Amino acid sequence: MKGHRDNREYVADLERHGDAVRITQEVDWDLEAGAIVRRVCELKAPAPFMERIKDYPGFRYLGAPLATYRRLAISLGMDPRSSVPDIAEEYLKRTTSEPIAPVVVDRREAPCKQNILLGDEVDLCKLPAPLVHDGDGGRYIGTWHAVITEGAEGDVNWGMYRLMLYDSRLMVGAVFPFSDLGKAFHQRYEPRGEPMPFAAVIGPPPLAAVAACAPSPIPEPELTGMLMGAPIELVKCETNDLLVPAHSEVVIEGVILPNVRVEEGPFGEYTGYRTSPRDKRLTFLVKAITFRDDAIVTISNMGVPTDEGQLLRSFSLGLELDKLLRSQGIPITGVYMPPESTHHMMIVGVKPIYSNIATQIANLAFGSKLGPWFHMVVVVDDTIDIYNWDEVFHALCTRCHPVRDIRVYEHAVGTALYPFLSAHERKYAKGAQVLFDCTWPLDWDPLNEVPRLVAFRSVYPKEIQEKVLANWEAYGFPTE
Amino acid sequence: MRVWEVFVNDLSELREDEELDLSIRTLEPGIYKYTYKRVRARVSSSPDTYPDRLHVRFGRGQPCDQTFSIQIVEELNVIPAKYL
Repeated sequence: MKGHRDNREYVADLERHGDAVRITQEVDWDLEAGAIVRRVCELKAPAPFMERIKDYPGFRYLGAPLATYRRLAISLGMDPRSSVPDIAEEYLKRTTSEPIAPVVVDRREAPCKQNILLGDEVDLCKLPAPLVHDGDGGRYIGTWHAVITEGAEGDVNWGMYRLMLYDSRLMVGAVFPFSDLGKAFHQRYEPRGEPMPFAAVIGPPPLAAVAACAPSPIPEPELTGMLMGAPIELVKCETNDLLVPAHSEVVIEGVILPNVRVEEGPFGEYTGYRTSPRDKRLTFLVKAITFRDDAIVTISNMGVPTDEGQLLRSFSLGLELDKLLRSQGIPITGVYMPPESTHHMMIVGVKPIYSNIATQIANLAFGSKLGPWFHMVVVVDDTIDIYNWDEVFHALCTRCHPVRDIRVYEHAVGTALYPFLSAHERKYAKGAQVLFDCTWPLDWDPLNEVPRLVAFRSVYPKEIQEKVLANWEAYGFPTE
Repeated sequence: MRVWEVFVNDLSELREDEELDLSIRTLEPGIYKYTYKRVRARVSSSPDTYPDRLHVRFGRGQPCDQTFSIQIVEELNVIPAKYL
Protein backbone atom coordinates (compact mmCIF):
# COMPACT_ATOMS: atom_id res chain seq x y z
CA MET A 1 0.00 0.00 0.00
CA LYS A 2 1.33 3.43 -0.98
CA GLY A 3 -0.98 5.49 1.22
CA HIS A 4 -1.88 5.56 4.91
CA ARG A 5 -4.79 3.64 6.31
CA ASP A 6 -5.67 6.45 8.72
CA ASN A 7 -4.49 9.72 10.19
CA ARG A 8 -2.58 7.94 12.96
CA GLU A 9 -0.27 6.23 10.48
CA TYR A 10 -0.03 9.50 8.60
CA VAL A 11 0.95 11.57 11.67
CA ALA A 12 3.62 8.99 12.54
CA ASP A 13 5.01 9.29 9.01
CA LEU A 14 4.91 13.09 9.14
CA GLU A 15 6.82 13.02 12.42
CA ARG A 16 9.39 10.65 10.95
CA HIS A 17 10.05 13.18 8.18
CA GLY A 18 10.04 16.20 10.50
CA ASP A 19 6.76 17.41 9.02
CA ALA A 20 4.64 17.44 12.20
CA VAL A 21 4.97 19.16 15.55
CA ARG A 22 3.36 17.45 18.53
CA ILE A 23 1.81 20.09 20.82
CA THR A 24 1.28 18.73 24.32
CA GLN A 25 0.09 21.87 26.10
CA GLU A 26 -3.63 22.56 26.14
CA VAL A 27 -4.95 24.45 23.11
CA ASP A 28 -8.25 26.35 23.05
CA TRP A 29 -10.71 25.38 20.30
CA ASP A 30 -11.92 28.99 20.43
CA LEU A 31 -9.51 30.69 17.98
CA GLU A 32 -6.17 29.47 19.40
CA ALA A 33 -6.10 26.27 17.35
CA GLY A 34 -7.17 28.19 14.26
CA ALA A 35 -4.47 30.79 14.79
CA ILE A 36 -1.81 28.08 15.10
CA VAL A 37 -2.94 26.45 11.86
CA ARG A 38 -3.14 29.79 10.04
CA ARG A 39 0.43 30.70 11.00
CA VAL A 40 1.59 27.22 9.99
CA CYS A 41 0.04 27.74 6.55
CA GLU A 42 1.65 31.12 6.08
CA LEU A 43 5.08 29.85 7.17
CA LYS A 44 4.75 26.47 5.41
CA ALA A 45 5.68 25.04 8.82
CA PRO A 46 5.19 21.41 9.95
CA ALA A 47 1.64 20.25 10.62
CA PRO A 48 0.53 20.91 14.22
CA PHE A 49 -0.71 17.80 16.03
CA MET A 50 -2.52 19.10 19.12
CA GLU A 51 -2.98 16.48 21.81
CA ARG A 52 -4.98 18.40 24.45
CA ILE A 53 -7.99 20.50 23.51
CA LYS A 54 -9.73 22.71 26.07
CA ASP A 55 -13.15 21.29 27.07
CA TYR A 56 -12.59 18.16 24.96
CA PRO A 57 -10.54 15.42 26.62
CA GLY A 58 -10.27 12.41 24.36
CA PHE A 59 -10.02 14.43 21.15
CA ARG A 60 -7.02 15.71 19.23
CA TYR A 61 -6.47 18.09 16.31
CA LEU A 62 -4.36 17.66 13.19
CA GLY A 63 -3.97 21.05 11.52
CA ALA A 64 -2.89 21.81 7.96
CA PRO A 65 -2.66 18.09 7.17
CA LEU A 66 -1.80 18.53 3.48
CA ALA A 67 -0.86 22.18 3.14
CA THR A 68 2.51 21.61 1.46
CA TYR A 69 3.77 19.61 -1.50
CA ARG A 70 6.06 17.81 0.93
CA ARG A 71 3.07 16.53 2.87
CA LEU A 72 1.26 15.65 -0.36
CA ALA A 73 4.31 13.58 -1.37
CA ILE A 74 4.34 11.87 2.04
CA SER A 75 0.61 11.12 1.81
CA LEU A 76 1.29 9.42 -1.53
CA GLY A 77 4.15 7.41 -0.04
CA MET A 78 6.71 9.34 -2.06
CA ASP A 79 10.00 10.97 -1.10
CA PRO A 80 9.09 14.27 0.62
CA ARG A 81 11.67 16.03 -1.54
CA SER A 82 9.86 15.03 -4.75
CA SER A 83 9.40 17.88 -7.21
CA VAL A 84 5.93 19.09 -8.17
CA PRO A 85 6.24 17.63 -11.70
CA ASP A 86 7.27 14.28 -10.19
CA ILE A 87 4.29 14.30 -7.82
CA ALA A 88 2.04 15.27 -10.73
CA GLU A 89 3.41 12.46 -12.88
CA GLU A 90 2.81 9.94 -10.09
CA TYR A 91 -0.71 11.26 -9.49
CA LEU A 92 -1.50 10.99 -13.20
CA LYS A 93 -0.06 7.49 -13.35
CA ARG A 94 -2.13 6.29 -10.44
CA THR A 95 -5.35 8.02 -11.48
CA THR A 96 -5.18 6.62 -15.01
CA SER A 97 -4.57 3.07 -13.83
CA GLU A 98 -7.23 0.43 -13.28
CA PRO A 99 -9.83 1.46 -10.70
CA ILE A 100 -9.46 -0.29 -7.34
CA ALA A 101 -12.84 -1.09 -5.85
CA PRO A 102 -13.40 -0.56 -2.13
CA VAL A 103 -14.10 -3.43 0.25
CA VAL A 104 -16.89 -3.36 2.80
CA VAL A 105 -15.91 -4.52 6.26
CA ASP A 106 -17.98 -5.60 9.22
CA ARG A 107 -18.69 -2.87 11.75
CA ARG A 108 -16.68 -4.83 14.34
CA GLU A 109 -13.59 -4.21 12.18
CA ALA A 110 -14.31 -0.50 11.81
CA PRO A 111 -12.51 1.75 14.31
CA CYS A 112 -14.91 4.60 13.52
CA LYS A 113 -17.58 2.62 15.43
CA GLN A 114 -15.68 2.63 18.73
CA ASN A 115 -18.07 5.26 20.13
CA ILE A 116 -21.65 5.67 18.92
CA LEU A 117 -24.07 8.45 19.84
CA LEU A 118 -27.70 7.94 18.86
CA GLY A 119 -31.04 9.53 19.77
CA ASP A 120 -30.88 11.98 22.65
CA GLU A 121 -27.14 11.39 23.02
CA VAL A 122 -26.52 13.14 19.71
CA ASP A 123 -24.96 16.53 20.36
CA LEU A 124 -22.62 18.18 17.89
CA CYS A 125 -21.15 20.23 20.72
CA LYS A 126 -19.59 17.05 22.06
CA LEU A 127 -17.18 17.38 19.13
CA PRO A 128 -14.36 19.95 19.29
CA ALA A 129 -15.47 22.02 16.32
CA PRO A 130 -13.05 24.96 16.25
CA LEU A 131 -13.86 28.62 15.78
CA VAL A 132 -11.30 28.88 13.00
CA HIS A 133 -11.13 32.65 12.42
CA ASP A 134 -12.34 35.56 14.52
CA GLY A 135 -15.53 36.81 12.91
CA ASP A 136 -16.55 33.50 11.39
CA GLY A 137 -20.27 32.89 11.51
CA GLY A 138 -19.81 29.83 13.68
CA ARG A 139 -17.71 26.83 14.60
CA TYR A 140 -16.76 24.79 11.56
CA ILE A 141 -16.49 21.05 12.11
CA GLY A 142 -16.05 20.48 8.39
CA THR A 143 -12.96 22.14 6.96
CA TRP A 144 -10.94 19.10 5.83
CA HIS A 145 -13.32 16.21 5.50
CA ALA A 146 -15.62 14.39 3.10
CA VAL A 147 -19.36 14.78 2.76
CA ILE A 148 -20.72 11.50 1.42
CA THR A 149 -24.07 11.48 -0.40
CA GLU A 150 -25.72 10.14 -3.46
CA GLY A 151 -24.13 11.68 -6.54
CA ALA A 152 -25.53 13.71 -9.40
CA GLU A 153 -26.10 10.55 -11.46
CA GLY A 154 -27.49 8.51 -8.61
CA ASP A 155 -24.04 7.11 -7.87
CA VAL A 156 -21.96 7.89 -4.80
CA ASN A 157 -20.38 11.28 -4.23
CA TRP A 158 -17.65 12.31 -1.82
CA GLY A 159 -17.25 16.07 -1.78
CA MET A 160 -15.86 18.75 0.46
CA TYR A 161 -18.43 21.34 1.48
CA ARG A 162 -17.72 23.47 4.54
CA LEU A 163 -19.97 22.67 7.50
CA MET A 164 -20.86 25.07 10.31
CA LEU A 165 -22.50 24.09 13.58
CA TYR A 166 -25.85 25.83 13.94
CA ASP A 167 -26.89 24.09 17.15
CA SER A 168 -26.52 20.71 18.82
CA ARG A 169 -28.37 18.86 16.06
CA LEU A 170 -28.02 21.03 13.01
CA MET A 171 -25.16 21.87 10.65
CA VAL A 172 -25.38 24.24 7.72
CA GLY A 173 -23.28 23.90 4.61
CA ALA A 174 -22.15 25.91 1.63
CA VAL A 175 -23.16 23.77 -1.34
CA PHE A 176 -23.17 25.30 -4.80
CA PRO A 177 -25.97 24.23 -7.17
CA PHE A 178 -23.48 23.13 -9.86
CA SER A 179 -21.65 20.78 -7.47
CA ASP A 180 -22.44 17.07 -7.53
CA LEU A 181 -24.20 17.25 -4.18
CA GLY A 182 -26.02 20.41 -5.26
CA LYS A 183 -27.26 18.78 -8.47
CA ALA A 184 -28.46 15.64 -6.71
CA PHE A 185 -30.24 17.58 -3.97
CA HIS A 186 -31.82 20.26 -6.12
CA GLN A 187 -32.77 17.98 -9.00
CA ARG A 188 -33.99 14.90 -7.15
CA TYR A 189 -34.53 15.25 -3.41
CA GLU A 190 -35.86 18.75 -2.89
CA PRO A 191 -38.44 18.63 -5.72
CA ARG A 192 -39.85 15.49 -4.09
CA GLY A 193 -39.69 17.01 -0.62
CA GLU A 194 -37.45 14.15 0.52
CA PRO A 195 -34.62 14.43 3.05
CA MET A 196 -31.29 13.38 1.51
CA PRO A 197 -29.09 11.05 3.57
CA PHE A 198 -25.54 12.20 4.20
CA ALA A 199 -22.46 11.21 6.17
CA ALA A 200 -19.83 13.82 7.02
CA VAL A 201 -16.49 12.20 7.64
CA ILE A 202 -14.12 14.29 9.73
CA GLY A 203 -10.55 13.03 9.61
CA PRO A 204 -10.89 10.60 6.73
CA PRO A 205 -7.76 8.72 5.58
CA PRO A 206 -5.53 11.38 3.96
CA LEU A 207 -5.93 10.16 0.39
CA ALA A 208 -9.69 9.82 0.84
CA ALA A 209 -9.71 13.55 1.60
CA VAL A 210 -7.61 14.15 -1.51
CA ALA A 211 -10.12 12.15 -3.56
CA ALA A 212 -13.05 14.07 -2.05
CA CYS A 213 -11.33 17.30 -3.03
CA ALA A 214 -10.49 16.20 -6.59
CA PRO A 215 -12.82 17.10 -9.48
CA SER A 216 -12.39 13.65 -11.03
CA PRO A 217 -15.07 11.70 -12.88
CA ILE A 218 -13.84 8.51 -11.18
CA PRO A 219 -16.02 7.56 -8.18
CA GLU A 220 -14.16 8.69 -5.09
CA PRO A 221 -13.98 5.27 -3.35
CA GLU A 222 -12.26 3.82 -6.45
CA LEU A 223 -10.13 6.94 -6.85
CA THR A 224 -8.98 6.61 -3.24
CA GLY A 225 -8.00 3.00 -3.91
CA MET A 226 -6.06 4.04 -7.01
CA LEU A 227 -4.21 6.70 -5.03
CA MET A 228 -3.56 4.33 -2.11
CA GLY A 229 -2.62 1.37 -4.26
CA ALA A 230 -5.01 -0.78 -2.23
CA PRO A 231 -8.76 -0.94 -1.65
CA ILE A 232 -10.13 1.44 0.92
CA GLU A 233 -12.15 -0.26 3.64
CA LEU A 234 -15.69 1.05 4.00
CA VAL A 235 -18.40 0.37 6.56
CA LYS A 236 -22.12 1.02 6.53
CA CYS A 237 -23.54 3.95 8.47
CA GLU A 238 -25.71 3.42 11.56
CA THR A 239 -28.77 5.28 10.28
CA ASN A 240 -28.59 5.02 6.47
CA ASP A 241 -27.07 2.85 3.76
CA LEU A 242 -24.15 5.11 2.90
CA LEU A 243 -20.66 3.65 3.20
CA VAL A 244 -17.90 5.56 4.98
CA PRO A 245 -14.17 4.89 5.37
CA ALA A 246 -13.89 2.46 8.28
CA HIS A 247 -10.72 4.10 9.58
CA SER A 248 -12.20 7.60 9.71
CA GLU A 249 -11.87 9.50 12.95
CA VAL A 250 -15.41 10.92 13.24
CA VAL A 251 -18.57 10.23 11.23
CA ILE A 252 -21.63 12.46 11.46
CA GLU A 253 -24.76 10.92 9.93
CA GLY A 254 -28.09 12.47 9.09
CA VAL A 255 -30.24 14.02 6.40
CA ILE A 256 -30.17 17.22 4.39
CA LEU A 257 -33.59 18.79 4.82
CA PRO A 258 -35.65 19.90 1.82
CA ASN A 259 -36.97 23.46 1.86
CA VAL A 260 -35.25 24.31 5.13
CA ARG A 261 -32.47 26.89 5.19
CA VAL A 262 -30.60 28.61 8.00
CA GLU A 263 -27.88 31.23 7.99
CA GLU A 264 -24.33 30.13 7.20
CA GLY A 265 -21.09 32.13 7.22
CA PRO A 266 -19.29 34.33 6.91
CA PHE A 267 -16.11 32.27 6.81
CA GLY A 268 -12.47 32.91 5.97
CA GLU A 269 -12.20 31.39 2.53
CA TYR A 270 -9.62 29.84 0.23
CA THR A 271 -9.30 33.03 -1.78
CA GLY A 272 -7.65 34.65 1.23
CA TYR A 273 -10.69 36.78 2.04
CA ARG A 274 -14.03 36.57 3.75
CA THR A 275 -16.05 37.17 0.60
CA SER A 276 -19.24 35.18 0.17
CA PRO A 277 -22.29 36.68 1.85
CA ARG A 278 -23.80 35.22 4.97
CA ASP A 279 -26.85 33.53 3.55
CA LYS A 280 -29.44 30.88 4.23
CA ARG A 281 -28.00 27.58 3.05
CA LEU A 282 -28.59 23.82 3.16
CA THR A 283 -29.33 22.34 6.57
CA PHE A 284 -27.88 19.03 7.73
CA LEU A 285 -29.93 17.41 10.51
CA VAL A 286 -27.76 15.04 12.53
CA LYS A 287 -29.05 11.63 13.62
CA ALA A 288 -25.91 9.84 14.75
CA ILE A 289 -22.28 10.52 15.58
CA THR A 290 -19.63 7.80 15.67
CA PHE A 291 -15.98 8.31 16.49
CA ARG A 292 -12.75 6.58 17.38
CA ASP A 293 -11.13 6.62 20.77
CA ASP A 294 -8.80 9.64 20.96
CA ALA A 295 -10.28 10.88 17.70
CA ILE A 296 -8.24 13.23 15.53
CA VAL A 297 -10.27 16.13 14.14
CA THR A 298 -8.63 17.57 11.03
CA ILE A 299 -8.55 21.35 10.57
CA SER A 300 -7.82 23.26 7.41
CA ASN A 301 -7.54 27.00 7.86
CA MET A 302 -8.49 28.80 4.68
CA GLY A 303 -6.84 32.17 4.16
CA VAL A 304 -3.90 33.65 2.29
CA PRO A 305 -1.75 30.96 0.64
CA THR A 306 -1.01 28.23 1.25
CA ASP A 307 -3.61 25.91 2.73
CA GLU A 308 -4.60 22.46 1.53
CA GLY A 309 -7.73 23.74 -0.16
CA GLN A 310 -5.59 25.89 -2.42
CA LEU A 311 -2.80 23.37 -2.87
CA LEU A 312 -4.82 20.24 -3.53
CA ARG A 313 -7.61 21.87 -5.44
CA SER A 314 -5.02 23.58 -7.66
CA PHE A 315 -3.11 20.36 -8.06
CA SER A 316 -6.09 18.20 -8.96
CA LEU A 317 -7.88 20.82 -11.07
CA GLY A 318 -4.72 21.26 -13.13
CA LEU A 319 -4.23 17.56 -13.64
CA GLU A 320 -7.87 16.93 -14.50
CA LEU A 321 -7.64 19.67 -17.13
CA ASP A 322 -4.44 18.02 -18.36
CA LYS A 323 -6.41 14.80 -18.91
CA LEU A 324 -9.28 16.64 -20.58
CA LEU A 325 -7.06 18.52 -23.04
CA ARG A 326 -5.08 15.39 -23.94
CA SER A 327 -8.34 13.49 -24.45
CA GLN A 328 -9.25 16.11 -27.07
CA GLY A 329 -5.94 15.68 -28.87
CA ILE A 330 -4.51 19.06 -27.88
CA PRO A 331 -0.69 18.85 -28.03
CA ILE A 332 -0.09 20.20 -24.55
CA THR A 333 3.14 19.84 -22.64
CA GLY A 334 1.33 20.06 -19.31
CA VAL A 335 -1.02 22.02 -17.09
CA TYR A 336 -0.13 23.65 -13.78
CA MET A 337 -2.21 25.72 -11.43
CA PRO A 338 -0.09 27.57 -8.85
CA PRO A 339 -1.60 27.27 -5.35
CA GLU A 340 -0.69 30.92 -4.80
CA SER A 341 -3.35 31.77 -7.40
CA THR A 342 -5.89 30.27 -4.95
CA HIS A 343 -6.77 27.96 -7.83
CA HIS A 344 -7.77 30.84 -10.09
CA MET A 345 -5.03 30.67 -12.73
CA MET A 346 -4.51 27.71 -15.04
CA ILE A 347 -1.17 27.67 -16.86
CA VAL A 348 -1.14 25.50 -19.96
CA GLY A 349 1.95 24.66 -22.00
CA VAL A 350 1.31 23.75 -25.62
CA LYS A 351 3.11 23.10 -28.87
CA PRO A 352 1.39 25.75 -31.01
CA ILE A 353 1.01 23.81 -34.23
CA TYR A 354 -1.99 25.77 -35.47
CA SER A 355 -3.37 29.26 -35.01
CA ASN A 356 -5.67 30.15 -32.11
CA ILE A 357 -4.87 26.94 -30.25
CA ALA A 358 -4.92 28.99 -27.03
CA THR A 359 -8.54 29.93 -27.69
CA GLN A 360 -9.43 26.29 -28.22
CA ILE A 361 -7.77 25.45 -24.89
CA ALA A 362 -9.60 28.22 -23.05
CA ASN A 363 -12.94 27.24 -24.60
CA LEU A 364 -12.45 23.65 -23.43
CA ALA A 365 -11.25 24.69 -19.98
CA PHE A 366 -13.94 27.26 -19.28
CA GLY A 367 -16.65 25.14 -20.89
CA SER A 368 -15.87 22.07 -18.81
CA LYS A 369 -17.26 21.05 -15.45
CA LEU A 370 -14.03 22.42 -13.97
CA GLY A 371 -14.61 25.88 -15.41
CA PRO A 372 -16.46 27.66 -12.58
CA TRP A 373 -13.51 27.15 -10.24
CA PHE A 374 -11.00 29.35 -12.10
CA HIS A 375 -11.18 32.43 -14.24
CA MET A 376 -7.73 32.86 -15.77
CA VAL A 377 -6.09 30.66 -18.40
CA VAL A 378 -2.52 31.47 -19.40
CA VAL A 379 -1.27 29.61 -22.46
CA VAL A 380 2.46 29.47 -23.10
CA ASP A 381 4.40 27.63 -25.74
CA ASP A 382 6.51 24.54 -25.22
CA THR A 383 9.70 26.53 -24.60
CA ILE A 384 8.35 27.69 -21.24
CA ASP A 385 8.57 25.62 -18.06
CA ILE A 386 5.01 25.84 -16.73
CA TYR A 387 6.22 25.07 -13.20
CA ASN A 388 8.69 27.98 -13.26
CA TRP A 389 6.71 31.10 -12.35
CA ASP A 390 9.60 33.39 -13.37
CA GLU A 391 9.44 32.03 -16.90
CA VAL A 392 5.64 32.14 -17.06
CA PHE A 393 5.52 35.67 -15.67
CA HIS A 394 8.15 36.79 -18.16
CA ALA A 395 6.17 35.27 -21.02
CA LEU A 396 2.94 36.84 -19.79
CA CYS A 397 4.53 40.27 -19.59
CA THR A 398 6.34 40.10 -22.93
CA ARG A 399 4.41 37.89 -25.35
CA CYS A 400 0.80 38.68 -24.58
CA HIS A 401 -0.52 41.51 -26.77
CA PRO A 402 -2.80 43.70 -24.64
CA VAL A 403 -5.45 43.88 -27.36
CA ARG A 404 -4.97 40.83 -29.55
CA ASP A 405 -4.04 38.18 -27.01
CA ILE A 406 -6.33 38.88 -24.07
CA ARG A 407 -9.78 37.41 -24.62
CA VAL A 408 -12.52 38.14 -22.14
CA TYR A 409 -15.33 35.67 -21.55
CA GLU A 410 -18.41 37.43 -20.27
CA HIS A 411 -21.46 35.80 -18.67
CA ALA A 412 -19.49 32.88 -17.25
CA VAL A 413 -20.55 30.63 -14.41
CA GLY A 414 -18.94 31.92 -11.23
CA THR A 415 -19.18 31.33 -7.51
CA ALA A 416 -20.06 33.50 -4.54
CA LEU A 417 -16.47 33.21 -3.41
CA TYR A 418 -14.77 35.32 -6.11
CA PRO A 419 -13.54 38.47 -4.32
CA PHE A 420 -13.55 40.59 -7.48
CA LEU A 421 -17.25 40.08 -8.18
CA SER A 422 -19.86 42.60 -7.08
CA ALA A 423 -22.30 41.65 -4.35
CA HIS A 424 -24.99 41.07 -6.97
CA GLU A 425 -22.71 38.90 -9.09
CA ARG A 426 -21.71 36.86 -6.05
CA LYS A 427 -25.31 36.29 -5.03
CA TYR A 428 -26.24 34.96 -8.46
CA ALA A 429 -22.85 33.32 -9.18
CA LYS A 430 -22.31 35.41 -12.30
CA GLY A 431 -18.65 35.15 -13.25
CA ALA A 432 -16.26 36.33 -15.94
CA GLN A 433 -13.15 34.68 -17.31
CA VAL A 434 -10.10 35.66 -19.29
CA LEU A 435 -7.51 34.06 -21.56
CA PHE A 436 -3.94 35.32 -21.80
CA ASP A 437 -2.45 33.92 -25.00
CA CYS A 438 1.33 34.03 -24.59
CA THR A 439 2.19 32.09 -27.73
CA TRP A 440 3.80 33.79 -30.70
CA PRO A 441 1.48 34.20 -33.68
CA LEU A 442 2.13 31.46 -36.25
CA ASP A 443 1.77 33.92 -39.10
CA TRP A 444 4.81 35.85 -37.91
CA ASP A 445 8.02 35.24 -39.82
CA PRO A 446 10.00 33.06 -37.36
CA LEU A 447 13.30 34.54 -38.53
CA ASN A 448 12.50 38.22 -38.61
CA GLU A 449 9.36 38.79 -36.54
CA VAL A 450 9.55 36.40 -33.60
CA PRO A 451 11.91 37.91 -31.02
CA ARG A 452 14.91 35.84 -29.97
CA LEU A 453 14.94 34.87 -26.30
CA VAL A 454 18.05 36.17 -24.62
CA ALA A 455 18.84 33.56 -22.00
CA PHE A 456 21.84 31.50 -21.01
CA ARG A 457 20.18 28.42 -22.46
CA SER A 458 19.32 30.04 -25.77
CA VAL A 459 21.98 32.50 -26.92
CA TYR A 460 25.22 30.64 -26.27
CA PRO A 461 26.64 27.71 -28.19
CA LYS A 462 26.25 24.40 -26.41
CA GLU A 463 29.99 24.03 -25.92
CA ILE A 464 30.21 27.43 -24.21
CA GLN A 465 27.31 26.56 -21.92
CA GLU A 466 28.97 23.28 -20.98
CA LYS A 467 32.31 24.96 -20.38
CA VAL A 468 30.78 27.60 -18.12
CA LEU A 469 28.81 25.02 -16.19
CA ALA A 470 31.84 22.77 -15.80
CA ASN A 471 33.94 25.67 -14.48
CA TRP A 472 31.27 27.28 -12.34
CA GLU A 473 32.82 26.37 -9.02
CA ALA A 474 36.30 27.00 -10.34
CA TYR A 475 35.25 30.56 -11.14
CA GLY A 476 34.49 30.91 -7.43
CA PHE A 477 30.71 30.59 -7.39
CA PRO A 478 29.09 28.50 -4.66
CA THR A 479 27.81 25.05 -5.61
CA GLU A 480 24.25 25.23 -6.91
CA MET B 1 -27.71 38.50 32.12
CA ARG B 2 -26.79 36.48 29.09
CA VAL B 3 -24.70 37.63 26.15
CA TRP B 4 -25.71 37.05 22.55
CA GLU B 5 -24.41 38.01 19.15
CA VAL B 6 -26.15 38.69 15.85
CA PHE B 7 -24.94 39.22 12.29
CA VAL B 8 -26.50 41.97 10.20
CA ASN B 9 -25.64 43.68 6.95
CA ASP B 10 -26.81 47.03 8.27
CA LEU B 11 -27.77 48.32 11.71
CA SER B 12 -31.11 49.44 10.29
CA GLU B 13 -32.11 45.75 10.38
CA LEU B 14 -32.23 46.03 14.17
CA ARG B 15 -35.38 48.12 14.42
CA GLU B 16 -35.75 49.44 17.97
CA ASP B 17 -38.35 47.87 20.22
CA GLU B 18 -40.11 45.96 17.42
CA GLU B 19 -40.51 42.21 17.51
CA LEU B 20 -37.96 40.81 15.09
CA ASP B 21 -37.13 37.27 13.99
CA LEU B 22 -33.39 36.82 14.47
CA SER B 23 -30.75 34.09 14.52
CA ILE B 24 -28.62 34.86 17.55
CA ARG B 25 -25.68 32.93 18.94
CA THR B 26 -24.66 32.58 22.53
CA LEU B 27 -21.32 33.91 23.73
CA GLU B 28 -21.53 32.11 27.07
CA PRO B 29 -18.29 30.19 27.73
CA GLY B 30 -18.32 26.41 27.37
CA ILE B 31 -19.00 23.85 24.72
CA TYR B 32 -22.21 25.51 23.52
CA LYS B 33 -20.55 28.85 22.78
CA TYR B 34 -21.42 30.13 19.29
CA THR B 35 -24.46 27.88 18.87
CA TYR B 36 -27.54 29.55 17.46
CA LYS B 37 -31.16 29.99 18.39
CA ARG B 38 -33.86 31.32 16.12
CA VAL B 39 -35.86 33.76 18.23
CA ARG B 40 -38.52 36.44 18.17
CA ALA B 41 -37.04 39.29 20.17
CA ARG B 42 -36.99 42.99 20.88
CA VAL B 43 -33.73 44.88 20.67
CA SER B 44 -32.50 48.27 21.72
CA SER B 45 -29.39 50.23 20.82
CA SER B 46 -29.10 51.01 24.51
CA PRO B 47 -27.21 48.27 26.39
CA ASP B 48 -29.49 48.52 29.41
CA THR B 49 -33.02 48.58 28.01
CA TYR B 50 -33.50 44.81 27.87
CA PRO B 51 -32.15 42.09 30.15
CA ASP B 52 -29.56 40.49 27.87
CA ARG B 53 -26.61 42.01 26.03
CA LEU B 54 -26.45 41.77 22.25
CA HIS B 55 -23.21 42.16 20.35
CA VAL B 56 -23.41 42.85 16.65
CA ARG B 57 -21.23 41.83 13.74
CA PHE B 58 -21.56 42.85 10.12
CA GLY B 59 -21.79 40.64 7.05
CA ARG B 60 -18.09 39.89 6.73
CA GLY B 61 -17.59 39.33 10.45
CA GLN B 62 -16.49 42.85 11.40
CA PRO B 63 -17.51 43.67 15.00
CA CYS B 64 -19.71 46.67 15.65
CA ASP B 65 -18.47 48.97 18.42
CA GLN B 66 -21.95 49.53 19.79
CA THR B 67 -23.48 47.06 22.27
CA PHE B 68 -27.24 46.51 22.09
CA SER B 69 -29.63 44.85 24.51
CA ILE B 70 -32.14 42.14 23.71
CA GLN B 71 -35.22 40.52 25.19
CA ILE B 72 -36.14 37.11 23.80
CA VAL B 73 -39.91 36.91 23.41
CA GLU B 74 -39.98 33.32 22.22
CA GLU B 75 -37.78 30.69 20.69
CA LEU B 76 -38.74 29.61 17.18
CA ASN B 77 -38.36 26.18 15.68
CA VAL B 78 -35.83 25.97 12.89
CA ILE B 79 -36.61 22.38 12.00
CA PRO B 80 -40.16 21.44 10.98
CA ALA B 81 -41.66 19.05 13.52
CA LYS B 82 -42.09 16.29 10.92
CA TYR B 83 -38.33 15.89 10.75
CA LEU B 84 -37.80 15.58 14.51
